[in-house]
Amino acid sequence: MHEMTLAISAIKSVIEFARDNDIDEIDTVVLEIGELSLVVPQYMEDAYYAAVPGTMLEHTKLRMDIVPGNGICRDCGKVYNIIEHKGRCPVCGSESKDILSGEEFNIKELLVLEDEPE
Amino acid sequence: MLRTIEIKESVFANNDREADALRAELKGKGLFLLNLMSSPGSGKTTTLVRTLEALRGELRVGIMEADIDSDVDARTVQDAGAKTVQLHTGGMCHLTAGMTRQGLEALGTEDIDLAILENIGNLVCPAEFDTGASKSAMILSVPEGDDKPLKYPLMFTVCDCLIINKMDVLPYFDFDLDAACERARRLNPNIEIIPISAKTGEGVEKWADWLRGQVKAWKEK
Repeated sequence: MHEMTLAISAIKSVIEFARDNDIDEIDTVVLEIGELSLVVPQYMEDAYYAAVPGTMLEHTKLRMDIVPGNGICRDCGKVYNIIEHKGRCPVCGSESKDILSGEEFNIKELLVLEDEPE
Repeated sequence: MLRTIEIKESVFANNDREADALRAELKGKGLFLLNLMSSPGSGKTTTLVRTLEALRGELRVGIMEADIDSDVDARTVQDAGAKTVQLHTGGMCHLTAGMTRQGLEALGTEDIDLAILENIGNLVCPAEFDTGASKSAMILSVPEGDDKPLKYPLMFTVCDCLIINKMDVLPYFDFDLDAACERARRLNPNIEIIPISAKTGEGVEKWADWLRGQVKAWKEK
């Protein structure tokens, strides 16, 4: 269950960021989770909502943007989805590749309510 | 209307900062911290006992045992002559830099040269969290199979040294040593690979040498 540690860490960072930037109310916290990261979105969602009560994020929503796990074949240069093709280049069959995306686990952005114009 | 405020910061950033701060402090004190990781049953505790025997009289060693809610391993290692502390992690699958710092405080570091963190037996989660260690090592044992680098690539990527343990049983398993090494090096070209048998003592001196060299370099630089 490393999702709980990560959820708590993300929540702490968001609260610090909000404090430093004078943000009083957050509507949605957006996390960016790569397909190749070792984070399971469903567990992350459960952990997030279990950890926010009692914090300023108690009534926030969580959105998770999934980043595809793409790699480029070192032998033929084909860019392909590593999960879908089980790590093997669909063109030449090589397993040698460089990972282009999908390892990230970021706090991407916050959605906050716009002040109504007076 | 909702307004978007971009942050783009890794969730690991907090832990990474704490880890870097801890590493810098340890460097200042000249205390080497080894993060030792592996699966359960790979022979971590036996390897530690052998390591303590090899380093006896040279380096003062302190060990933090992070096995879940049991003090069996801590007692075994204590009997071998090291100062130990048992970290009860209550079912967590990994240690963070903050937990490692607490462990070092509980252990007391004034009278040791080398602190070893016996991380939780798991090849997945501990690889993700920088503990603040000077170096990381892992143990893969022969019965686990030579395909582990393919299944748990991150662990092999973050380690500086790979110990392949239980070499004494190699004839009884379909473990291809060359394939295991090749797979590990493909992920991590600089990884030091040391085959040992903690049971017979084979290779232990080479591992102890690697560790001696690392501790020395850490204290000098």
